[in-house]
Amino acid sequence: MLLLLALLQQIDSTVPVQRGQRLEVSAYAGDIAVKAWERDAVRVEAEPDDRTRVEIDRSGSSVTIRTEGRRGAPRMVDLVITAPSWMPLNLSGVNTHVSIRGARGPISVETVQGEVDVEGGDGLVSLQSVQGSVRLHGAKGRLEVHSVNEAVSVSSSSGEVNAETVNGDVTLTRVDATSLTASSVNGDLGYDGTIRNGGRYLFSTHNGDITITVPEGSNATVSVSTFNGEFASEFPVTLTETRKGRRFSFTLGTGSARMTLESFQGSIELVRPGSSRGARNHDAK
Amino acid sequence: MSDQWTERLSEYLDGDLTESERAALEAHLASCAACAETLAGLRRVLVRARSLEDRPPVRDLWSGIATRIGAGSRQRRFTFSMPQLLAAGIALALLSAGGAWLLHPGSNQVATEAAPLPLARAPIATVAAGAGVRGYDAAVEDLERVLAEGRGRLDTTTVRVLEQNLALIDRAIAQAQRAVAADSANVYLNSHLAETMRRKIDLLRQAAALVSAVS
Amino acid sequence: MTRTRPGPVKLRRDLTSKSDSDAVDATLAASGDAHAFERLYRGHIGRIHSLARRMLNDDEADEAAQDVFVRAWEKLGTFRGEAAFGTWLHRLAINLILGRRERRGVLRRRYLESDAVLDTVPGRRSAPETLMDMESAIARLPDGARQIFLLHDVEGYRHEEIAEMLGLATGTSKSQLHRARMALRQQLER
Repeated sequence: MLLLLALLQQIDSTVPVQRGQRLEVSAYAGDIAVKAWERDAVRVEAEPDDRTRVEIDRSGSSVTIRTEGRRGAPRMVDLVITAPSWMPLNLSGVNTHVSIRGARGPISVETVQGEVDVEGGDGLVSLQSVQGSVRLHGAKGRLEVHSVNEAVSVSSSSGEVNAETVNGDVTLTRVDATSLTASSVNGDLGYDGTIRNGGRYLFSTHNGDITITVPEGSNATVSVSTFNGEFASEFPVTLTETRKGRRFSFTLGTGSARMTLESFQGSIELVRPGSSRGARNHDAK
Repeated sequence: MSDQWTERLSEYLDGDLTESERAALEAHLASCAACAETLAGLRRVLVRARSLEDRPPVRDLWSGIATRIGAGSRQRRFTFSMPQLLAAGIALALLSAGGAWLLHPGSNQVATEAAPLPLARAPIATVAAGAGVRGYDAAVEDLERVLAEGRGRLDTTTVRVLEQNLALIDRAIAQAQRAVAADSANVYLNSHLAETMRRKIDLLRQAAALVSAVS
Repeated sequence: MTRTRPGPVKLRRDLTSKSDSDAVDATLAASGDAHAFERLYRGHIGRIHSLARRMLNDDEADEAAQDVFVRAWEKLGTFRGEAAFGTWLHRLAINLILGRRERRGVLRRRYLESDAVLDTVPGRRSAPETLMDMESAIARLPDGARQIFLLHDVEGYRHEEIAEMLGLATGTSKSQLHRARMALRQQLER
């Protein structure tokens, strides 16, 4: 069933949904803000101009919200959407900032020129921007957080994490990861989270520093590689392997987790919790 | 002082005479002081010619060149040059999940297997024995073509950001390649180079997907 | 706005030979990196400018050298790294300089000048010198003989290559080279 909300200056429409359905939003320009509630319904609020319309389409498995332009590309229209917290979200836009609050299901966000700011998410959470920063907070599951030209941050989240950007820093705080990859080309990497027994942690940057906060009692085999950088530690480490060129490793505790720290030309540092050099103080640097 | 022998002294100096001509000339030189003296004089000219020193211009010409090539403004579209790097004979590592292979210059053979990496990384190319990095080259070329044909459909700031980041990755690749060239058995450097190449392919794919989406 | 990393990156020049660093700079310059191209310029301008000075004259050398680098920038996309960058650049310079001379109307008949011309007609203007040094002596050679001498004895090309570049017979290249050397010997050992 298609509802065309063409000529109204202000849209405020609510449609009922059923468990099992997912929300698809496709925008071009303008913000998408998604909030959660516990009703089994989706509410859309927007103020399109007369050149743009907002289409809401309900089919069997999804509710789709789309902005369409009458002539040419859609104009800027901000969408405020309230959806059930259980509902999987699939949002895409071009010149679109996306923010999500309170979601408790899988999330997928793709934008080109816009920031992504998500609190929540459970299951597969995949956030991607080209020109904007990406921030994820309070999520669990398989977390994929990607930017190209800006910073990426993940906080208070758990699961398997892959945080990547090209030209920006990657900051992970209060993260409880069973496996983690943090990667940049031109940016620093900071981690302040748990180092789980049996976990695997890979930090790789080309031109940037790596700062790892190591909690008390961590058990990890740490392998450090750098071409043109330095290694420093706030606590003593014993080398188990002699320096072979520019890679060496050492053991913390039982050596259970595997941690790989690679910076082509930047410093690699291990700090104690609470250190002023740690990732939690990253923005203050 | 022009005798038939003098005319051939230069060719003699340059080794352009046949065996018999050379023998005849050397026999003549043994008995002709004038020719021997001329030969010595020609040798001195050669020595001075070869030791001429190059010196740069009195005034620095760079700013004129920079203006003419439009340095500072991005006029050139990206041209990537993996073939150049390969031609320079650089050892290259290719990753597939769980293992690393090292290709050494001058051979298409899979050489040694290094320590497996802690986490699987997505393969960047399908490497058949002997195929070298052709899979990577071809992928880069295809993606560049898609991007070149379609970039007019993208916003100019998006194009600029993509180009800047592709150039950033290229610089990283070049630095990694230089490091590998100086230390070709270093596992980290090889894997870092390969990983950075993967980042480039990934970004090209992402850019190409953007172009396709806006058509 | 994220904190990015500006400024020049540290290069490890001490680890690689010039031709290795040239290869990398050529790669970078081909993708638009003007700083890399400037490094190439600084590394090769001496040789290219000297070539232009000797083959043309002091007045034209600056402009010709600039033309060489501008052309090199344009053609970097075709540089495949099969030869050293310096070799490729040098060949490009020779082609460009010879092209300039052709456009100035230097005709082929000059290559067939007789001996008599050598002593009396200076090839181009040169500053008066009390001590005849090599550069000045070369400058006083007639055009044709000078080009061949420069290409063979200074730049190291073979007669076959020179003949092809200048559109002559190999024999002409050899005889002109000999005349140039004999004239220089006379000039230098007065």
